[in-house]
Amino acid sequence: MKAKFLAAILALGLLSGPAYAAAPPSAVALKGSVQLEKTVTVDGTSRVELVEPKVVVPGDKLLFTTSYRNDSTAAVTDFVVTNPVPGAVVVSSDALSTAEVSVDGGKTWGLIAALKVSDGKGGVRAALAGDATHLRWTIPSIAPGASGKVEYHAIVR
Amino acid sequence: MASLSISDAAHAAGVLAGTLIENTATATYKSGISTGSVTSNKVTVKVDELLNVAVTTLSTAPAVAGNAPAVLVYSVTNSGNGPEAFDLAADPKVAGNAFDGTVTQLALDTDDNGIYEAGIDTMLGAGAATQSLAPDKSVKVFVLVTAPAGATDAQTSQVRLTALAATGTGTPGTSFAGKGEGGGDAVVGLTSASANSLASLIASLAAVTLTKTAAITDQFNTAKPVPGATVTYTLSAKITGTGTVEGLHINDGIPAGTTYVPGSLKLGTSALTDADDTDAGKAGTSGIDVTLPTLSGGTTSNVSFAVKIN
Repeated sequence: MKAKFLAAILALGLLSGPAYAAAPPSAVALKGSVQLEKTVTVDGTSRVELVEPKVVVPGDKLLFTTSYRNDSTAAVTDFVVTNPVPGAVVVSSDALSTAEVSVDGGKTWGLIAALKVSDGKGGVRAALAGDATHLRWTIPSIAPGASGKVEYHAIVR
Repeated sequence: MASLSISDAAHAAGVLAGTLIENTATATYKSGISTGSVTSNKVTVKVDELLNVAVTTLSTAPAVAGNAPAVLVYSVTNSGNGPEAFDLAADPKVAGNAFDGTVTQLALDTDDNGIYEAGIDTMLGAGAATQSLAPDKSVKVFVLVTAPAGATDAQTSQVRLTALAATGTGTPGTSFAGKGEGGGDAVVGLTSASANSLASLIASLAAVTLTKTAAITDQFNTAKPVPGATVTYTLSAKITGTGTVEGLHINDGIPAGTTYVPGSLKLGTSALTDADDTDAGKAGTSGIDVTLPTLSGGTTSNVSFAVKIN
């Protein structure tokens, strides 16, 4: 009986956790989406289309987008979006020019060229795109009502 | 938070089919004197099954097809990202073959030791499939092939083993809705979900040439077939080729007007008893019959016996 009650509280806590953490209601709305890059060739000309990811297999390139909008009447500053990279994808190198990168689970940050990881043989080597565990973007200020997005390409391992 | 429903371990074939790719972003900010944070919705993509296969030949030298069939060894690897069975087909008709063999059996190497063992390995019927192979896993396949009657010694031939993903094959990108691991789709990969490899066999055959000679000794030393003379017949079995001959019988009748000389039957220089007993031959009024052991190419066996002219 007691255990069941506790479980119910825990479940409630998990479901409503982010809402509590963000109280009072967040000034900014954050929305994630994902699209699949598909190369379509028409009459010998190839172009890349973004489509709904209905069928995704290893090697496919995905575009993860996080859109934000300042719903409040005041400016929002020091806006920092943090995105853990799913383990099943490798961040495409084009994302690394716009975002800060962590290769240690979000503890330390920097440009990918400056980061090092263990080489598994007791030493270190330069970090590669596949080592990125987290991406981070900083937007200095968002005016009331203004919106924008951050995005990164990733290839399914 | 990013998480995976299955393992995200590095995998040559790619992320396992059915894996969920989940992406969530969080943001922190300042608004006036207060700070806030917000978490996005979670977007989820399920990884579909990629159908890929590789076939290689493990036989480094042509397998010998003699009295026993040649055993060709292939390896079939699931290079896709989901568990998959593969339909197998062995085709002995390959362009450039000196002869086309006959495929008598396909088998899976149950104990994975690379050696065909009739009592241990799994026999497959025609058009059979492998068991379901996990991604990156291989199975060895044996193909037993005999050389046809028309083949000549030392001729070679090839047999092509083809493996096709049981879910389906086609041009890369072809998808099979709902047929993938975990209820997703199955998509044909760059291998077209079909692969094949050639393995060689060499015919190792033997031919027998039988010649009969006669030598006469008579009481007058004239070497004439006069009554009372003894005729010694020698039957020579010459084996040519690289193969072996098993169970060769040499038999001959006693010519009319002659009588078999008891105890004269010989295999090479060894005497054989006339009785039908444990040794290789028997002889009597009805003729002689000698059973030869397994004979290798390049050898000659002589059987001799004597008759007296009446």
